[in-house]
Amino acid sequence: MSWVTILWSMIASACLTIAAIHFMTWCHRRTAWADLSFSVMSTAVAFYAVIELAMMRAQTPAAFAVALRWLHVPTWAIVLSIVVFVRLHMGVGRLWLAWSIGVVRTLVLCLNFLVGDNLNYLKVTQVQQIRFLSETVSIGKGVANPWMLLGQLSLLLWFAFVTDATIAVWRRGDHRQALITGGSLIVFAMAGVVQSVLVLWQIVQAPLTASVFYLFIVVAMGYDKSRETLRAAQLSDELRESEAQMTLAAEAAGFGVWMWTVARDRFWASERWRRLFGFDPGQSLTFEMFIQRIHSDDRARVESAIRQALTDHAGYTEEYRVQLPDGTERWVSSRGKVYPNGSRKPGLLLGASIDITDRKHSEEEIARQRNELAHLSRVTTLSELSSSLAHEINQPLAIILTNAQAAQRLLTQNPPDLAEASDILADIVSEDQRAGEVIRRLRALLKPGQIDLQPLSANDIVDDVLRVARSDLIGRGVTVHTVLAENLPDAVGDRIQLQQVLLNLILNSCDAMAANPPMRRRLTLSTAFLNGMVRVSVSDTGCGLSTDPDSIFKPFYTTKKDGLGLGLSICRSIVSAHTGRLWAEPTPPTAVGAAGTAAGGATLHLELPVVRETKS
Amino acid sequence: MTAHDETVFLLDDEPGMLKALTRLLKAEGFVVHAFTSAKSFLESYRPASPHCLVLDLAMPEVNGLELQERLTLSGVLVPIVFLTGHGDIPMSVRAMKAGAQDFLTKPVNDAELLLAVRAALQRSAEHHEVISATAILQQRYSRLTPRECEVMAHVVKGHLNKQIAAALGIGEHTIKVHRARVMEKMGVDSVADLVRAAERLVLVHPPPLK
Repeated sequence: MSWVTILWSMIASACLTIAAIHFMTWCHRRTAWADLSFSVMSTAVAFYAVIELAMMRAQTPAAFAVALRWLHVPTWAIVLSIVVFVRLHMGVGRLWLAWSIGVVRTLVLCLNFLVGDNLNYLKVTQVQQIRFLSETVSIGKGVANPWMLLGQLSLLLWFAFVTDATIAVWRRGDHRQALITGGSLIVFAMAGVVQSVLVLWQIVQAPLTASVFYLFIVVAMGYDKSRETLRAAQLSDELRESEAQMTLAAEAAGFGVWMWTVARDRFWASERWRRLFGFDPGQSLTFEMFIQRIHSDDRARVESAIRQALTDHAGYTEEYRVQLPDGTERWVSSRGKVYPNGSRKPGLLLGASIDITDRKHSEEEIARQRNELAHLSRVTTLSELSSSLAHEINQPLAIILTNAQAAQRLLTQNPPDLAEASDILADIVSEDQRAGEVIRRLRALLKPGQIDLQPLSANDIVDDVLRVARSDLIGRGVTVHTVLAENLPDAVGDRIQLQQVLLNLILNSCDAMAANPPMRRRLTLSTAFLNGMVRVSVSDTGCGLSTDPDSIFKPFYTTKKDGLGLGLSICRSIVSAHTGRLWAEPTPPTAVGAAGTAAGGATLHLELPVVRETKS
Repeated sequence: MTAHDETVFLLDDEPGMLKALTRLLKAEGFVVHAFTSAKSFLESYRPASPHCLVLDLAMPEVNGLELQERLTLSGVLVPIVFLTGHGDIPMSVRAMKAGAQDFLTKPVNDAELLLAVRAALQRSAEHHEVISATAILQQRYSRLTPRECEVMAHVVKGHLNKQIAAALGIGEHTIKVHRARVMEKMGVDSVADLVRAAERLVLVHPPPLK
């Protein structure tokens, strides 16, 4: 076995192996075009080596000429695949140069098959045996083909392209890649080109050995690619580590995490999440199974939030109930974020969920207690009004009785006054309705109920409360003025609780004015739309506020000898539950009006959020 | 059927109640004047033939008791029937002490109300009678000459003609003439009647309104 055969066979097999590996890589990742170009180049180098060997072993000029003619096919492939590799893997290289090389080299390949024996010889006249690596090998002799210059022009362009690309890599700071890959491309491509020029113009008596140089290029490029693989492996380790850390952190914080690969509908979830949603550890999951675990009352809301996040490539935060297969219910707070998949398609949806059942229960308990307290305070307030309220019901009843008796008398007359009797009946009906209305309002106020936030008009609330308090205000000798804003937007609130707050404010103001002479018992109720909130203000001309106006909202603060001091503090907690504001300030002198003097009085402001316009 | 000139003044701040009471009283043949406030009542109130007041106790601004007080202070003697939403004992005592005719709680029974109104009108009629008799006497008294007035004052005190003549420094005969004139002008036949007339003029002496 000769050295030449061994060496060239080794070059060919090494290149084929590398080519096979990168071809497999490309098969797995069809987008890895750099791997394909590298694989094509390695294959071409292998064929190049085999054809070189055939040339060295050629016994006749014809055999030599044919081998050399076919050598141009792998050369074409090597040149172009390196150009493609530089563009795709290294991300540099001038596009116009790349296209010029492609065109010229393809032209050269055509000429190779059309003009003379091949591109290099018009005619191979003889094969000469020379010594090479202590072996006898063949070299060709004959008439040089002038078209060979075109081939060398293409190699010059190629050389320029590679040099320019290397400089660009160096400039962008990737010195290692510039030195190793770019440097070896320049050096060995140059060496290959120079050697083939010298041999083929028959200046030097030697066989073609460019495959050796191309092998070095393959090794350098392979090293570059393997560094990438190494980095990928390292990254995947780091990723696994950070995933483990994240899961650990999430588990420690009580979060269950999950991930949904939208396109393939692959649903992965951590142990904790599975426990939270009642799935077995090994069970394979789908997004639909997750959605089905959500309480039917909340499902549509959560699903539409997720769909919205997927369309917007955004996140969502939702609180909802999960219904476990055994019927138990738990509250979950969930956050999710969509990671798009390169293009506009959503790729991944990542989510974290935490059990908030205890928090929800205590919230519900607090709300329940607040409602109970509000109810109690309401009953207390109304009991203060009981005698005037009794009058409010008694009055229509008295009118009905008197009317009915008048009618009885009218009907016994001869002739009976039927027109008047019919008027009387109409009055009886309307008085009865009035009494019914009072009772209905009272029942609503006395009924214990959950807070029910609805859009409502602040002016209606003022109206309702004044109806209930009317008799009491007359009895106390208080004159009421209302300044109601027109076109007030609807506020959000619980009608009954807001009536209660306003009633409390009015009664407090009346108490504050009890010591005034009747001419100076003036109550002003006004509504306004200010800073995006609906405001209801109660102004009196009473004894005014202390230096700290906020102290009146403290529990057990009272100025009445038989007061509990809870009214205003309960009012404030009701208003807070409405995300509104309740505060006190001195009545401005102008608002007191003609009857007012410097004594001032207090104004209590109640601010409520307005109805947000919902997105259509 | 009751006489046409029996008038009831109605005061209630509640228009519904006012209307109902008006109907009831009109059905009984009374002349009814209805008012929703003390102010409007005082503006158009003219004491006439037998009349009474049906008054709601709880009214804004001037309430029932205050109105009663004002009327009494201006010397108007009118029987008042009070109506109230809630039977308040201290208030009813105050009203009765101030001379209220009756004190009824709403809802009021028609029979009860009519009874009270009739009683009030009865009392008003009596007042009226007294007042009109006094008015005649006053008119007659105003026709006396100053000397005759002096003589009359002595006569009703029970003085003899001789004593009067001594006190006034004129002759006894002249006194006799004056005395006969007084008896004639005052329209009385006996000294006893003259004394009664004199008592009325002094005891029931209504000062003018307001």
